[in-house]
Amino acid sequence: MLPLLLRPPFSPPLTGCIRALHCSSQWIIHSRAEHFLRRQLTSRLPMRRHSRKSRSQEEEWRTRNKTVLTYIAAAGVGMIGLSYAAVPLYRLYCQATGLGGTAVAGHDTDQVETMKPVKERVIKVTFNADTHASIQWNFRPQQTEIYVVPGETALAFYRAKNPTDKPIIGISTYNVVPFDAGQYFNKIQCFCFEEQRLNPHEEVDMPVFFYIDPEFDDDPRMARVDTITLSYTFFEAKEGQQLPLPGYSYN
Amino acid sequence: MSTAMNFGSKSFKPRPPDKGSFPLDHFGECKTFKETFMRCLRENSFDNSKCRLQSKDYLECRMDHQLMAREPLQKLGFKDLMDPPPSQEESTP
Repeated sequence: MLPLLLRPPFSPPLTGCIRALHCSSQWIIHSRAEHFLRRQLTSRLPMRRHSRKSRSQEEEWRTRNKTVLTYIAAAGVGMIGLSYAAVPLYRLYCQATGLGGTAVAGHDTDQVETMKPVKERVIKVTFNADTHASIQWNFRPQQTEIYVVPGETALAFYRAKNPTDKPIIGISTYNVVPFDAGQYFNKIQCFCFEEQRLNPHEEVDMPVFFYIDPEFDDDPRMARVDTITLSYTFFEAKEGQQLPLPGYSYN
Repeated sequence: MSTAMNFGSKSFKPRPPDKGSFPLDHFGECKTFKETFMRCLRENSFDNSKCRLQSKDYLECRMDHQLMAREPLQKLGFKDLMDPPPSQEESTP
């Protein structure tokens, strides 16, 4: 009823305008819907591309992680192997450089033949003799000191007497002070590390044949060393006991 | 000797002799040579360089009496005391 009532006041151009407006609004709504739909469609396409990219990136990361892990594992195994190899390597290094007082590997018996005495460097070698409390030998050096030069072989004597009525077997070891000079003190022959049997009331002379390495003169650490003390200590050896030779490892 | 429990400080490591141990001279066979050597030492204020002849004689005595393995004296460092020509060498054991 209302539109009928409203119609007579509206002129025909107005109705036309209204119709046009209605049409245009309808068209606007339609176009908006279309546009929205299109946007929906287009927005889905970049999402697909984005997921493909992330998947390949993930794969890339995975392979990279794998290589990094293998590198780390290899480094770990390498470290463990190195720690095992360090023991013989360090021993070789010590022998080559003579650090820590270890025997220098280059020391051999042919050196005695070819070495030249260093006449300017005179070293006093003092002798000391000790016995363990339980052995009843009288053990003493026959000279208190001797003046040698490096590169020259020298002879020295100790004397041991068994004052008891039973044979006593002794075994000795030695010591050189200062410790650093000990690596240059080479004994060609002596009476140490082997059992020596003394019969009752027997007295023997025990020689020590030694030389000081000529390289002693070249060592800057030995520049102030003028006195070397050689000290022997005798212990009582029990029957059948075998003392291990120093410097050799026994399994 | 090296019984101190301090790691890092140098300790002495005894080494066995090159040619082993001298057998004991139980019968005093080379005692005279030793006495000559000691007398020479005392006269020369214990200078080893002056008494090398006597020490060579003592070692030769030891070798003669089977108290020492026989070796050419050059190997024992007595090359300068050898009579010329040095090509003369004693037999090795």
